[in-house]
Amino acid sequence: MTTMIPVLETDRLRLRAPRASDLSAYTAFRTSDRARHVGGPFTVAQAEQQLHAIAGQWLILGYGRWIVADRQTDAPLGIVGLFFPVHWPEPELAWSLFADAEGRGIAFEAAQAARTHAYGTLGMTTLISCVSPENARSLALVRRMGATPEGRFDHPDHGTLHIWRHPGPTT
Amino acid sequence: MTAAFHPLANTPVLITDRLRLRAPEPSDLAPWMAFLVSPRGTWHGGGPEHGEGRAWRIIATMIGHWSIHGYGTFIAEDRATNRPLAAVGAFFPANWPERELGWSVWSDANEGQGYAAEAATEILRHCAADLGWPPLISYIDPENARSVALAERLGAVREHGAPTPHPDDMAFRHRVPA
Repeated sequence: MTTMIPVLETDRLRLRAPRASDLSAYTAFRTSDRARHVGGPFTVAQAEQQLHAIAGQWLILGYGRWIVADRQTDAPLGIVGLFFPVHWPEPELAWSLFADAEGRGIAFEAAQAARTHAYGTLGMTTLISCVSPENARSLALVRRMGATPEGRFDHPDHGTLHIWRHPGPTT
Repeated sequence: MTAAFHPLANTPVLITDRLRLRAPEPSDLAPWMAFLVSPRGTWHGGGPEHGEGRAWRIIATMIGHWSIHGYGTFIAEDRATNRPLAAVGAFFPANWPERELGWSVWSDANEGQGYAAEAATEILRHCAADLGWPPLISYIDPENARSVALAERLGAVREHGAPTPHPDDMAFRHRVPA
């Protein structure tokens, strides 16, 4: 088995594989009103399956999404990484922060590390992010990442999402 | 970059007369998807009406179960051809009363040859002898006659009154392997 989930470290954060101890924080987020921009809120059972699926996607695709953890305490703060399920337009750089992690630039720091990994280690040449037009915080972040709007698509579970194109590896 | 995590590195390989039971691999995706979107997949959360998106999520969830919990569903492949035929193993979704032993044979062509029984027998042995678990349970829709027959063939006993994930499920308690 060659698939593995790498660990990325930034100044404040560790991006690592999901584990059972993350279930309560992830479930609290996915069952909360904060999940309304990402197809939710969901039930506890759905949320647990979704964390399993986040882990399982690594084997299917060879890449995926990490738990963003505090580098000092290892406490889970959110989910950031690469997402490409069936019916998605192309690989996406996606992020979600748990409630108490907001407002400190954590998603920006983690998303930059994930994008650098995608362009460097994985050799990807382009990335999109799909953002609900009502998700003001994600819109601010996707602009801060330097991405530009590029149309939209309709998803059966997520509704209408706006596609944002990230700058490529060389820009 | 510090130590990477190998999600399936600790998955054992179990060998029976005809089968190799191993961790899921990327090459399983196509036949696993084909099974889940077929009418056979209906008992396993899939089925033709749900399409590939649902099937993909089910597979990702089942693979990730290994990563999160350290145990999960094995892929049973034919030792002679290395082709995957079935998925059998223990899993514990949210809201389930306890760990369940589940099984699925992926095509009509491989039905009725005892593959699921052969795999389940070995996994029951593994869970008891290697992992030290108490006897597993299986939850079966009463209309899924083939699975009911398999549970009985394995020596499982109907456990009336056991809590079940869905109201109509029948609970079968497996016996301690000899």
